[in-house]
Amino acid sequence: MNLFRAAHLRGRRLAIGAGALLLAGCASVDFEESVRQTNQDAAGFTQGRLALAGTPAQREVMAREADALLAQPLGQDEAVRLALLNSPALQALLANNWSEAATAAQGARIANPVFTFERMRSPDEVEFGRMLAFGLLDLITLPHRYGVARRQIAQAQLRLTTEVVDQVTRIRQTWVNAVAAQQKQSYAEQVYEAADAGAELAQRLQAVGNITRLQRARHQAFYADAATQLAGARHAALAAREALVRQLGLTDAQAARLQLPGQLPPLPAAPRTAGQVAQATTEQRLDVRQARLGFDAAAKAQGLTAVTSLTDIELGVRRDQTFDKAEGHTERARGYEIEVRLPLFDWGGMQRDSMNARTLAAANALEATLRAAGSELRESYSAYRTGYDIARHYRDEVLPLSKAISEENTLRYNGMLIGVFELLADSREQIGAVVNAINAQQQFWLADAALQAAVLGKPTAVAVGLAAAPGAAEAGH
Amino acid sequence: MTSRRTFLQALGISGGAVAAAGVGKAALAALPEPVIQTKPDTMAPLLPQTGRPYNPVVTLNGWTLPWRMNNGVKEFHLVAEPVVREMAPGFTAHLWGYNGQSPGPTIEVVEGDRVRIFVTNRLPEHTSIHWHGQRLPNGMDGVAGLNQPAIPSGKTYVYEFVARRPGTFMYHPHADEMVQMAMGMMGFWVTHPKGRHPLIDEVDRDFCFLLNAYDIDPGSYTPKIMTMLDFNLWSWNSRIFPGIDSLNVRLNDKVRIRIGNLTMTNHPIHLHGHEFLVTGTDGGPTPKGTRWYEVTTDVAVGQMRQIEFRADEEGDWAFHCHKSHHTMNAMGHDVPTLIGVDHRGIAKKISKLVPDYMVMGERGMADMTEMDMPIPDNTVPMMTGDGPFGSVEMGGMFSVVKVRRDQKPGDYSNPGWFKHPPGTMAREFDGAVQTPHRQSGAGGGQSMPRARQDASDVEVHVRKPTHKAGH
Ligand SMILES: [Cu+2]
Repeated sequence: MNLFRAAHLRGRRLAIGAGALLLAGCASVDFEESVRQTNQDAAGFTQGRLALAGTPAQREVMAREADALLAQPLGQDEAVRLALLNSPALQALLANNWSEAATAAQGARIANPVFTFERMRSPDEVEFGRMLAFGLLDLITLPHRYGVARRQIAQAQLRLTTEVVDQVTRIRQTWVNAVAAQQKQSYAEQVYEAADAGAELAQRLQAVGNITRLQRARHQAFYADAATQLAGARHAALAAREALVRQLGLTDAQAARLQLPGQLPPLPAAPRTAGQVAQATTEQRLDVRQARLGFDAAAKAQGLTAVTSLTDIELGVRRDQTFDKAEGHTERARGYEIEVRLPLFDWGGMQRDSMNARTLAAANALEATLRAAGSELRESYSAYRTGYDIARHYRDEVLPLSKAISEENTLRYNGMLIGVFELLADSREQIGAVVNAINAQQQFWLADAALQAAVLGKPTAVAVGLAAAPGAAEAGH
Repeated sequence: MTSRRTFLQALGISGGAVAAAGVGKAALAALPEPVIQTKPDTMAPLLPQTGRPYNPVVTLNGWTLPWRMNNGVKEFHLVAEPVVREMAPGFTAHLWGYNGQSPGPTIEVVEGDRVRIFVTNRLPEHTSIHWHGQRLPNGMDGVAGLNQPAIPSGKTYVYEFVARRPGTFMYHPHADEMVQMAMGMMGFWVTHPKGRHPLIDEVDRDFCFLLNAYDIDPGSYTPKIMTMLDFNLWSWNSRIFPGIDSLNVRLNDKVRIRIGNLTMTNHPIHLHGHEFLVTGTDGGPTPKGTRWYEVTTDVAVGQMRQIEFRADEEGDWAFHCHKSHHTMNAMGHDVPTLIGVDHRGIAKKISKLVPDYMVMGERGMADMTEMDMPIPDNTVPMMTGDGPFGSVEMGGMFSVVKVRRDQKPGDYSNPGWFKHPPGTMAREFDGAVQTPHRQSGAGGGQSMPRARQDASDVEVHVRKPTHKAGH
């Protein structure tokens, strides 16, 4: 700090203390309110169920609800609800955000006053010095800092919403992947069974002398390939399921009880129109709001630096007492002390430049966010719409064609125009088409989750791949 | 029934891409009106009203083309055109033919007749007609490019020659020949002898038909024209069993059957219950000393055979090509043999993937005629045709010669199934069956003993003919 001297303090102590308390009380954090706000802003994501479990009682209620959800096959919304209730990671996110907000609020408080006490002794004198000092600048800049803190708290609140949206989107997509992978596994099992039946039949045909070892070996090779494909599909299903287990934060016991529905939800009757999607105004978007707050905070901070960069002022109230041994009396002195850092070497120019630059950056970041928002939304919508169209094409064109091919081939088998091996090979092929259709449906639901996030202003959490499905490769040829 | 229409109406119904291609009206006035046939039934013989008399033939599932006499010349009018031919009930083919049908109508003339044939091309491409086996001026032989320019779409050409030689002949295109024959363009030609002929007997019934083959995918209508050998439909006059009419005769009739082969393989034609003589080829009547009795005669590619026999055994006698796959309708050639293969457990697995799957062929292929399962549209089962005792399990080149005591002369109608006199039909034996003695130690015999014995002989399942297994 600065030089000390004995001083006496009394009188306005109370007044100052009361003022400081008053100011400090203004910039506090109500985390409950924050969560409520997120529940409101991202209602479609949290279903109004986002909550930080603080007490064992709360945790117990949540665990009971989680149990109820795990008792049945878990739909997409239920998966989100379960994560909100159950995921420690999500709870950690909430707690971290609380801490962040609290730190931000701290910035708007006055530093505690400094009390110094000195005892100086000379051969004939004892001197006591007491001083209660506090940063005058703290006081002067309080309204400013209060504004900054408020913005930082608001920013933290927005960040919370954004992170929750991001998490929920991930949960949705992970759920889609897990269900699709499980569905594909069941088709891989069917291909395997077809190949198995073919191999078994070939073996019996050879046993009675109707085909050669070469022919049997060829049919068996299909089977061997199908077995590999099935192993791969099983692992993929397990991996996708475990990814969901992690997203939901399930314990081992809970994971064992997790059931998924047999198939992805059907496509909606009609896709959302571009108009519906564009309804969310730009100003309401999370990314835009965040950028604007960033800019406001930077601008506010700049005003603050105009003062702080110039100087550092400290105000102290002094009360000194001197005991004169020779004369046997006590001298009292009161006064105040102002300490000013002389701007001889640093006139604060660099600091001002820095703040200017920061504000400028924030302004440009806001502008960039505004400009990107529409573009990102259009891209997300295109991914969604393309996903819908491809999945619908599979549903309305490819699958009926596959079905027709299967039916016609059965008729041809009935007419002894093709043999049982051709029939089996065809059924494998048609299953391949079904797997491609599942892939298309999976891509649609991934894009759907991404679009919901994008509409709110949290651009795609997971990239959506709309590359054409890789033929019937997965059917095991 | 034969329907007579004006030529312009004929143009109208023959339809197709060339409908607009006109034929000059002046030329029409000089043409005999073409007669179009709309049904695939066997038509009654056409008794000659004009020209020299003769005993007409009956074309199996076909008809004879009427003519007009014009200053002593027999004038016929053939219209080459796309046609829809019913090859069997429930199965129609989109073919090319003449005057509404494939094959085209039979042309019957008498030895020495001057014949003028107008050929109108209503096909989308040029054509020509070759008169297979005839003696005629070179310019009338019909090889497009060699003897004449091809007849363009929409044009009418005229052929004229004297039918010098009695016998059995054919006509077919000789322009884009492979395609046009694969599409069904062909017809029969009979030149009757003028008066008595030392080598040509008078007969009571005289049948004729052409052997032809198509490759039509089950469920489709148009033949695959690039097929070389792997045809899947073996037909007589573009009909397949059970679509081929029976040959109905009176007991002790002398019967002649004329057969021409326009497929790409030979056909050993076989008659049950009688022996026959081959009395003629496309070269004419055979010398009597060369004739011997047979029950099967091979009709090679591009050949004609004329067989004769006395129908002196009553009954329903099978008459068919003896290549057994020619008495089958469309079938798969890559179908594995499942005889003796135990399907237990597998059938269930497969039916999980193919819900309508049923095991077939485990006991042989007759399963097919017993199960009556749905097959593709516009096709006929590989083996089919109900006889009085169940499925005949035939297809393709198969018909029946029906010999009946009470069939009226000149009556060609179907008398129904034969009623076997008591005690003349195979029946179940109800006595004790003794266990047969079997020879042991099968090998190569004495002259060529088997050198090495297979270590692991294949396991042979003999599935005992128990009561019908429920599949
Ligand atoms: Cu044959």
